[in-house]
Parts: sequence; C-alpha cells; structure tokens
Amino acid sequence: MTILGKERKEDWEVVYEGATGLIDLYEEDPESKGMNSILIGFRNFIDDIFAAIDEGKPFVWHNCGCSPELIKGLDGVQTMPIEVLTVLQDLVGEVDFTVALIDEAESHGVAPEVCSIDKAAVGAVLKDLYPEPACMLYHNTPCDSQIAAIKSLTEMMKKPMRLMDVPYLSTDREVKYLAKQLQEGIPFLEEHTGLKFDWDKFREVREESNRTAEYLRDWNELRRHRPCPQVSKIVALNTALLVAFSGEPEGTKIAKGFRDEAKERIERGESAVEGGEEYRAIWYQDPVWWDLQFYDWMESELKLVIPMDLFGYYAPEALIDTSTPQSMLEGLARKNLKVLPMSRQFKGPIDYYIDDYLRMCADYEADFAIFAGHVACKHGLGGIGLFREASREAGIPLLYFEFDMFDPRVTSAEAIQEEITHFIEDIVAPVKETV
Amino acid sequence: MGKNEILDTLREVIERPRNAYLDRWRGNGGKVMGYYCSYIPEEVFTAAGFLPYRLRGAGSKDSSDGDAYMSSRICTFVRHTVSLALRNELDFLDGVVLMQNCDHIRRAADIFAKKVKVPFNSFLSVPRAPQERLFQWYLDEVRRLKSEIESFFGLTVTNADLEKAIELHNATRERIARLYELRKRDRPPITGEEALGVTIAAHLMPKGEFNNLIDDLLIDLDGKSGNDTYRARIIVTGSEMDDPEYIASIEKQGALSVAEIACFGQRSFGDLIPAGDGDSLERIARHKFFQIPCARMVECFDEQVEMLKNTVRDFNAHAIIFQRIKFCDPWAGDGHSLYWRMKQEGIPFLSLEREYKVPAAGQVGTRVQAFLEQMGK
Repeated sequence: MTILGKERKEDWEVVYEGATGLIDLYEEDPESKGMNSILIGFRNFIDDIFAAIDEGKPFVWHNCGCSPELIKGLDGVQTMPIEVLTVLQDLVGEVDFTVALIDEAESHGVAPEVCSIDKAAVGAVLKDLYPEPACMLYHNTPCDSQIAAIKSLTEMMKKPMRLMDVPYLSTDREVKYLAKQLQEGIPFLEEHTGLKFDWDKFREVREESNRTAEYLRDWNELRRHRPCPQVSKIVALNTALLVAFSGEPEGTKIAKGFRDEAKERIERGESAVEGGEEYRAIWYQDPVWWDLQFYDWMESELKLVIPMDLFGYYAPEALIDTSTPQSMLEGLARKNLKVLPMSRQFKGPIDYYIDDYLRMCADYEADFAIFAGHVACKHGLGGIGLFREASREAGIPLLYFEFDMFDPRVTSAEAIQEEITHFIEDIVAPVKETV
Repeated sequence: MGKNEILDTLREVIERPRNAYLDRWRGNGGKVMGYYCSYIPEEVFTAAGFLPYRLRGAGSKDSSDGDAYMSSRICTFVRHTVSLALRNELDFLDGVVLMQNCDHIRRAADIFAKKVKVPFNSFLSVPRAPQERLFQWYLDEVRRLKSEIESFFGLTVTNADLEKAIELHNATRERIARLYELRKRDRPPITGEEALGVTIAAHLMPKGEFNNLIDDLLIDLDGKSGNDTYRARIIVTGSEMDDPEYIASIEKQGALSVAEIACFGQRSFGDLIPAGDGDSLERIARHKFFQIPCARMVECFDEQVEMLKNTVRDFNAHAIIFQRIKFCDPWAGDGHSLYWRMKQEGIPFLSLEREYKVPAAGQVGTRVQAFLEQMGK
C-alpha cells in the first residue's frame, strides 16, 4: 500500500489501508451512506496531508478544541489536528499502533494519567510521524490534558505557537473576547506561514461550515425518530468531522451522507437494530473508539441503540452570519465556545455539562444513560457526584464506568459489555416491564 | 520569641483548618475569604477588610466526603479540601473566590457553589497565558470581583484601602524575601521543612501578626549558624506543596531544601507590587497576572525555566526535586518538559509523584537517596 504512489511511514500506511479496506466493504452496501462518506473523507484527508507535504505547503497544527476555519482563511495552508493519527488509527487502522505511541510517550516521561490521545500525539512527534508545522494555533479547551500536550509539543517542536484563550463562560462577552483573539491571531498565521489571509476565502469557508451545519442539524433531528434509523457507532464521528473538515466541501459531503442515510432509512421504515430496538440510551462523555464493533454488539445482543451522544450532539448555535468580517469572527468564536463538542460541555460550570445531558435524554427519549468516563477527563470525573444527583433527580437511570477511549488496555470491551448487560438486566429492564 | 517558639506557633497555625489567629480575627468580628490560587488577588480581600485564607486540606482525616462527589482520579489535594468543606470544617468562611486553576479545582468550585453554600461565592475567569493581549480581560475580572464584594457586603473599597493592602502584603513579601536570602547562606539557619511551615502560615493568618512574628524570627535566624551537614542543596518545585512533612522526608536523606518554588512556597509571593501613581487595582492585577507562571499557564515555559535556573544559581543548589500530586495534568506536562530541559542544562532533576497528606517517607527516602548517590553526593 502506498499513499499517492509513494511509500510512507508504516503508521500512516496502516490507517490508509484500513480506510481503503473499510471503504471497499461499505461501498457494497449502498445504504451505508454515512459511514461511506466519512471513510472516504478520512482517506482524502490523508491524501491531502501527503500531497501538502509533497507540494511543500505550510502546515498549521491545531488541537481538537480548535475549529480550524480561521486557519483555512489562508489560501494554500494545510491544517492538521494533533490528534489525527490516533483517531484514524483507532477508528480505521490498528489500535496496537496507538498503544505503541502511548508507550513511546510514557517512556519519554509523559505521565500516564495524561489523556491517551495527547500522549499518542507526543509519541507521534517522537517517532517523527507528523509533518513539521510552520506554526501552531491551539485553544485551551477542552481539558487540562490538552494544555499539557500543547506545552510538551511546543517545547519539542520549537515552533511558534499561539494560544487562543477560551474563557470560563460562554456569554456574548466571552464571544467578543475570543473573536478579538482570533482577529489578532491572523497576523501570527500570516507571518509564520508566509501566506496572506483572504477574507473572501474565509467567507467561503464559513459558508461551507453553515452548509455542513444545516445537514448536521437535520441529522440530529432525524436521529430522534423512534426507532432510531441509523447505527450507534456513527454518532460520535461527528466530532472527527468537525475537527478535521469544518469549512470544507468534504465536511458538507460527510454531513449530507449522515443526513441522507438517516432520512432514507426512516422513509424505508428501517431501524438501527435488526429485529427492533428495545432500549435507547444517551452515551455521555466519550465513545469507545478502539472498537466500533462494540456498538454493533450493543445493537445485536442487547437491542440497545444510542440515538445521540456528547460527540454527536450538534448545538443549534452553529449557524454563522457571514455578512461582515466581525460577524464571521464572532460566529467562529461562538462555534468554538458553544458548538464544538467537548469544548461546549467540558469547560465552564458543571451546569453546561449537565444541561446538555438532560436535554439529550429528554429529546431522544432515552430509557437510561451511560456515563463512559474516559479516565483522563478530570472535568467529567470531578463532576460525577453532581452529575449523578442531577440524573437521579430527573429519574434517568445512569450507568457509570471508567475506561480509556483510545487505549483498550485500561478496561476491556468484555468488561464494559458486562457492565451494560447487568445494568440493563438489573435496572432498566425491570423498570421498563413495570411501565 | 526565639526561633523554636515562633516555628512551634506557626506549626500550630498550619496543622488544622482553624487556628488561634483566625479564631481571634473572627472573634473580633472579622470576616474571612477563601481562595485556592495565587492568581486570585488576595490584596482585594485585605482592602475590603477580609482575612485572605488559602484553602488546603490540613486536618482532613480522610477524603471520603469529597470521594462521594469526585472520582478517585481527581487529585487528593482537591478531594481533601472539598471533604473539609462538605464536613463544615471550613464554616468560618464568609466567602470563596475560585477560578479555573485546573479541571479538578473547577469542579471543586461547582461543589462549593452547589453543596457547601458559603455566603459569598464568586468565580474569576483567569486567562491561561500571561500575555499583555489578555491582561485587560483579567483586569476586568478583578474589577468585577471588587464590585461584587462591595455590593454583596455593602462596603466600599477605596484606592486608599487598596494602597494599604498593597503595603501590608508587600511587607510580607519583603520578609519572605529576607527569609529566603538567609537560605542562600552556606549554612542556612532554617531547613526547608521549617521554612515551608512559615510560608504556609502566611496564607492562613492576619498578615500584620504574621509580619511581627517573622520580624522576630528573622532577627533570631540572622545570628544563628545553620546546618552544614547536608549532602546536597536542592530546590523543590512542581505542584502545590503545603506539607512540611514531605520536605522533611527529603531532608532526612541529607538533601537540604533551600527554596520551595511551589504554591505555598516562594512562588506564591513574588516580587513587591511596585509603588506608583496609577490605578491601585491595576497594579495589583498586573502583579498577579505576570507573576512567576505556574503550569496552568501557556506561552511562558521559557520564563519558568529561566526562573528555575536563576534560583538554582542564586541558592547555589545542586539539583531540583520536582514533585507532583498524582493526576495533576498541568504539572504532568511541565514535568515532562522540565525533565528534558534540565537535562540539557546539566541540572540534576528528580521527579516524584505523591499523594496529598501521605508523606510516603520510605519511598521518598529511597528515591532521594538514590538520586544523591547518582549525583555523587
């Protein structure tokens, strides 16, 4: 397997091969428009990265708390989320490669309790797997682990870095504060990439984001349908879409694929669960990305579907007024503060975190909820007591367990399966039977 | 009073949440304002007539009350402080001003707001890069805080009040600087364990009374000849450090701590707030915002390294011992980078992980012993 006709480092070839293999598999299933579109998107993204390397385009690294549209206002730049390889490796490649990157970082001195995706990013740099950036633009969300990674990567790369300070709350005052920083970040990007920021290009990018947002909004609505029309594993992929593809036609294509698949399946009267769904749950906090078949298991064995999760939830504040530079900057700031999954819920007071949860449970008519506590998400684990209380007050049965969303060594799929099975048997099913 | 008597007095101050000075302050009708972090402008509390009280977990027997609300992956410092608060052992607080130091304390702030219900509860949104472009936001936050205190407690904080507070806090800074100056001697007249007890107490009692005690202590120390039996002089840095026993377990191996560059240690004081004609609140805010940065701050790592290197040089230290409370993410990032930077600089660097209130003297002893041997000490 080669990427753009050239041999590349094994880690990248593995994800490329994985994406290609899955595309071949899903292409035979015309109903899997959603999975198909994002798999093609992933492979195209890898193509773009390597084409950019070959063409000598300047790279700007960013993190998952940063929606990359501002950077894309520079014509000829290549954006790269620092989490890209780990996400691709877990989703379409081989998780052993992620594990090796985590181990590489830990043996270099990164503390084990730092998020596995951040450790893997450090590991990727240590193994020289990432193209060198012209500069780095980071947001201080969604968590402290990102701060640790940002500082480590800046120290390791010795490249210019600028932080967009995302404050505690998300009111208009915070929107204006962040918008001002975005504007002030433009000369930084121009200086270090050697490219000119183009407001017309930025408008195109923002308009494309709006098109993506429209599809995602519809998609979120369609997944409320009973029975849920579309498989559970696709939901969380929304975050990968937003972090990598925001502002690009590819992003709109993927969102349209998600929407069309849900819409058509509803029209055909199809359910995500063969034989009919019995349980609906909101999956909160983080998805199991090292084994997407886990979701297939939930559907086939437990007749359980996840109509929505935190990564898939697309907030209604997403649309941006593109009439003026200021409205676009404020719109992007608002998106970073109030739309981007994780950044929206993880920062700020616990109410931000709990309110979305309760809204999702109500909107998607969940029978229960699953709090999948990624071990590095201290903001979530630190709020678990208040979260449980809120869930109890709302009458939502809540299953809580800790695991690692990128590293299967922390809690095995079997252990999680057992937790969910027992919870349904002991708590959810008896209540449902009574009702 | 002489050294031993003063240190005993201060030891009592730091042993439990309450202390005799605090009780007397409250007995005289004084109010107390709690806070966690050195980015909170405690001078504003003093100017408003409050005793600034830095939250910590001393006296907490266990963290079970905090554990009911927080996972065991939350740092033990936070779980202990939350436990004290939930057990009403911090009921002397008239208010708390918290901030997003880190994800752990951010959630502690939620628990304070929803479960502890201190009469006054405010939150400061502090930017994460000590850069001029972000200072105005911080200043606006400090102004908002002052207005909230004024409005809630029905008082007015004047410029003159702020100037008096600056003077009082500067007097403390001056004394801490003099104490640290003595520690630069070949034979420092005070150990790290003792000195940390002093700097912790400064956060828990009225500054005026603290300053008087330290005046006596400094006179006594100045004439004393100190310890010269140590094997190496070390700087202790890293995450918050308010446990003299931990320093003692390092020093028992012959590694004399000559500076604690950590929260509750020297980092919490910094230089004096400069005098000036400008807006007093802005001078306070500037001092806080551009203090020696801690790990929560970004775009300032070179400054952090420079400060540590200068401290090693000025205190004639042989090595750095970096300690971090388990699960602290900001210091996990810095610990990693500091290790490699210090390696480049040729400064021996030992990284220790710890739990709050668990001295783990055996483990620490073994690590420090091996470290000293590696250094040929």
